[in-house]
Amino acid sequence: MTNAATTPSGQPLGISHRPSPTEAMFAKFKAEDKPAFIGYLPYGFPDPEVSLDAFRTMVEHGVDAVEIGLPYSDPVMDGPVIQAASSIALNNGETIRRVFEAVETVANAGGVPLIMSYWNLIYHYGVEKFARDFENAGGAGLITPDLIPDEAGEWIEASDRHGLDRIFLVSPDSADERLEVVARNARGFVYAAARMGVTGERASIDASPETLVARTRKAGAKNVCVGIGVSTAEQGAKVGSYADGVIVGSALVHTLLADDNRSPRDTAEGLKLLAAKSEELAAGIHGARA
Amino acid sequence: MSVLDELVAGALEDQRTRERTVSLEDVRKAALAAPAPIDAKRWLKRADGIPVIAEIKRASPSKGHLSDIPDPAALAREYERGGASAISVLTEGRRFLGSLDDLDKVRAAVHIPVLRKDFIVTDYQIFEARAHGADLVLLIVAALDDAKLRHLLGLAHELGMTVLVETHTREEIERAIAAGAKVIGINARNLKNLRVDVNKYAELADDLPHDVIRVAESGVFGAVEVEDYGRAGADAVLVGEGVATADDHELAVERLVKAGARVKASETTPLSEHHGPYWGQFGGRYVPEALITALDELERVYDEAKKDPEFHKEFMTLQQRYVGRPSPLTEAPRFAKLIREKTGLDARVFLKREDLNHTGAHKINNALGQALLVKRMGKTRVIAETGAGQHGVATATVCAMLGLKCRIYMGQIDARRQALNVARMRMLGAEVVEVTLGDKILKDAINEALRDWVTNVKDTHYLLGTVAGPHPFPEMVRDFQKIIGEEAKQQLKDWYGIDHPDAVCACVGGGSNAIGVMNAFLDDERVNLYGYEAGGNGPESGRHAIRFAPGTGQLGMFQGAKSYLLETDEGQTLDTYSISAGLDYASVGPEHAWLKDIGRVNYSWATDEEAMNAFRDLSQTEGIIPAIESSHAVAGSFKAAADLKAKGYDKAVMIINISGRGDKDMATAGKWFGYLTDDQTAALEVTGAHGNTVA
Repeated sequence: MTNAATTPSGQPLGISHRPSPTEAMFAKFKAEDKPAFIGYLPYGFPDPEVSLDAFRTMVEHGVDAVEIGLPYSDPVMDGPVIQAASSIALNNGETIRRVFEAVETVANAGGVPLIMSYWNLIYHYGVEKFARDFENAGGAGLITPDLIPDEAGEWIEASDRHGLDRIFLVSPDSADERLEVVARNARGFVYAAARMGVTGERASIDASPETLVARTRKAGAKNVCVGIGVSTAEQGAKVGSYADGVIVGSALVHTLLADDNRSPRDTAEGLKLLAAKSEELAAGIHGARA
Repeated sequence: MSVLDELVAGALEDQRTRERTVSLEDVRKAALAAPAPIDAKRWLKRADGIPVIAEIKRASPSKGHLSDIPDPAALAREYERGGASAISVLTEGRRFLGSLDDLDKVRAAVHIPVLRKDFIVTDYQIFEARAHGADLVLLIVAALDDAKLRHLLGLAHELGMTVLVETHTREEIERAIAAGAKVIGINARNLKNLRVDVNKYAELADDLPHDVIRVAESGVFGAVEVEDYGRAGADAVLVGEGVATADDHELAVERLVKAGARVKASETTPLSEHHGPYWGQFGGRYVPEALITALDELERVYDEAKKDPEFHKEFMTLQQRYVGRPSPLTEAPRFAKLIREKTGLDARVFLKREDLNHTGAHKINNALGQALLVKRMGKTRVIAETGAGQHGVATATVCAMLGLKCRIYMGQIDARRQALNVARMRMLGAEVVEVTLGDKILKDAINEALRDWVTNVKDTHYLLGTVAGPHPFPEMVRDFQKIIGEEAKQQLKDWYGIDHPDAVCACVGGGSNAIGVMNAFLDDERVNLYGYEAGGNGPESGRHAIRFAPGTGQLGMFQGAKSYLLETDEGQTLDTYSISAGLDYASVGPEHAWLKDIGRVNYSWATDEEAMNAFRDLSQTEGIIPAIESSHAVAGSFKAAADLKAKGYDKAVMIINISGRGDKDMATAGKWFGYLTDDQTAALEVTGAHGNTVA
């Protein structure tokens, strides 16, 4: 009898030396002098089946890595759009056990599957078990908006054993020492928040993310992606001119939300809008340095 | 032939081969001539950490090849830089691919103790270890008979070396102790799963003599095992693969060292002076990185203020002249008679009257303290959450007094059931934001406050109202609230001539009034401490806010801290319910979680009905109307009295913390007890003021 944490002979797993999946992606993009496009959508939104179609749609229309969100009852880093989507997903039977179907869907479509989750969900599921199931599903890495490296002992251990990337966040007012802590413990890339605050679309992006990206690189990060507040192709192009990747969330989620911002849009129409938005953003981001 | 027999036979054969080149006499001379060994025992046990013995390990019979390690000296230096307390060098060559050459190189490279790990069964090997500069040697009990074990231990000790004696069973441990072992390695791996078998370890390591150093020897890989072993009482850990095969060896060791320091720091006593971020396994900072700068600043400013007599002076002057402290300790003889009638306990009951503070509750102690810190930080805007409205009112009050901009977040349901407090806050100049997200109660107000803080952290302070949330809040709020218990203790002596109470009762939502009244008594074992959670309709109903009873709360991270949490199978926060808005919270302060785990505080609950009966009882026996929150403590005092009686007390002195006054709750109480006419009730229905519905 073997289990998650042991080899067939009953020995504990060692450190997996599987190369970082996202680093491999960035290497490819760097060779082409292009930034990667990372798109966010909560799993289970508007319901588990449609969300799988949505993930496939994103990859088919230019999203390179998909940040699969795990809906949470208390998402303190999220603005109204993602809160609404998460709440719809939770009401429509989203479960963490089935998120691995989304991971497989993204991987099969040719995208790099990432998961974004508030820490309590992973902790409750079991950190080691999550890492095993995520790896088995073809997962690349986990973005943890409310887990700082200082508290991440169990996750660092589990991700080392399963060869998964650890994506921590930095923000414009993070001190240099904090950037170093994050860069030192991250694997894959560092997620730089474009501004102070929660997720959501903004009319303009100021200059601070460029400085933050430079500071984070100086602190030792190999790849730095920028998210929070990027919603148009133009903004994507601007950010993509200096960041290794551009992360878009609310603007994509928005396409599947009805105009009241509280209920899901008609599925066919929503997926069409999602495809169009993905393409528009992909063109802007991938062409950032052309 | 067992694996161990085979390894021993091989090691012995190799030793004999070496002996043909270097005689026993020569190796003995070399041992005696070697530079004096380091006293490794001093490196393997410390109050503030769990020393890490990091191993140079290329392979093992069970896992095969692990790592090439072309330069063991460089690896040892990386371990040392990461904070290792000793380096273990495997010198067995057949299966572990080690050598004495490795030992020489490591010895020359580091200044910390070096362990020779091999299958040692002869004097020759002991001398050889010393001759090559080892400070420690490994002896495996299973490979030696009693006489041999005693002899080799004695020889190693004579040479000034420390011996790590490896054991697997209780019987082997007894043999090791009998032979004179001072450092015992315990192998408690549960091969069925990865986790260290802490139970097995504890079973084995239990009641070892105090002066014996316990080294957890198996299955240590990362921070998880260090924490598990550390909490089970291990003094040191030995780790091989987890550091030898890491991409960054220094960082891997550093993480283990930090994990050990964290375990030690999380369990320091006296309890009353314990520091965050960790309270046992609880607490911490489970927040977005964006808040770390602000939390660090708050911690720094608070630490400076704590050491500044001017800060204390200003705080205490305002406590006296503005808040009205000290709050009295009132004896409640007619209520005590009720307790006697119901439980048979001859109790003297004293009420700590936080209800008489300005704004009518204990919340102002903390609001005042933090507002003074806001001034020191030079911030201009304050945000806060509120459940019952008491913390919101207290915050709005101190902001008015100090000229700070103030915004209060309040769940819509709470804002309805505490409409009067909403008006009070607005009267005081605060902006009140009704939160319509989530369950529309306290936790949702906190979420919104956190989102506001993440966005506006540069000029804004989040004035958290309870001993929950990320470090430094639990510690800081405790410090501002502990005046409650300190006063009560003194007043009991000065006013009533009583040295100490037998029991202290408080209600527990987030837990600040309870921590406040209990802190002064935490280290006095004579005082029984009782905390009462909001039982709502009872634990079986699913409609309650009980976090500590079996089958209710589970371990989780919520709003910045690890603690007990009401959550679903999926880890989503559960809806909570209580008639009292101030106790209607899914989690609880991390210090309480720790005090529960170590058994220092007895936690139970009072249902809505019990609390409302107590509300009436206290009002009608003593002319004191407690807040519904505090009524849970009053209801609990009957349970505490019964518990004291069961423990053999006939007489007892009890303190009940009346954390706030009940004026704000009269609409709820009026309806509950039917004190209002239908017309009057209907009028309250219209405003939703009783709290059961939201328009």
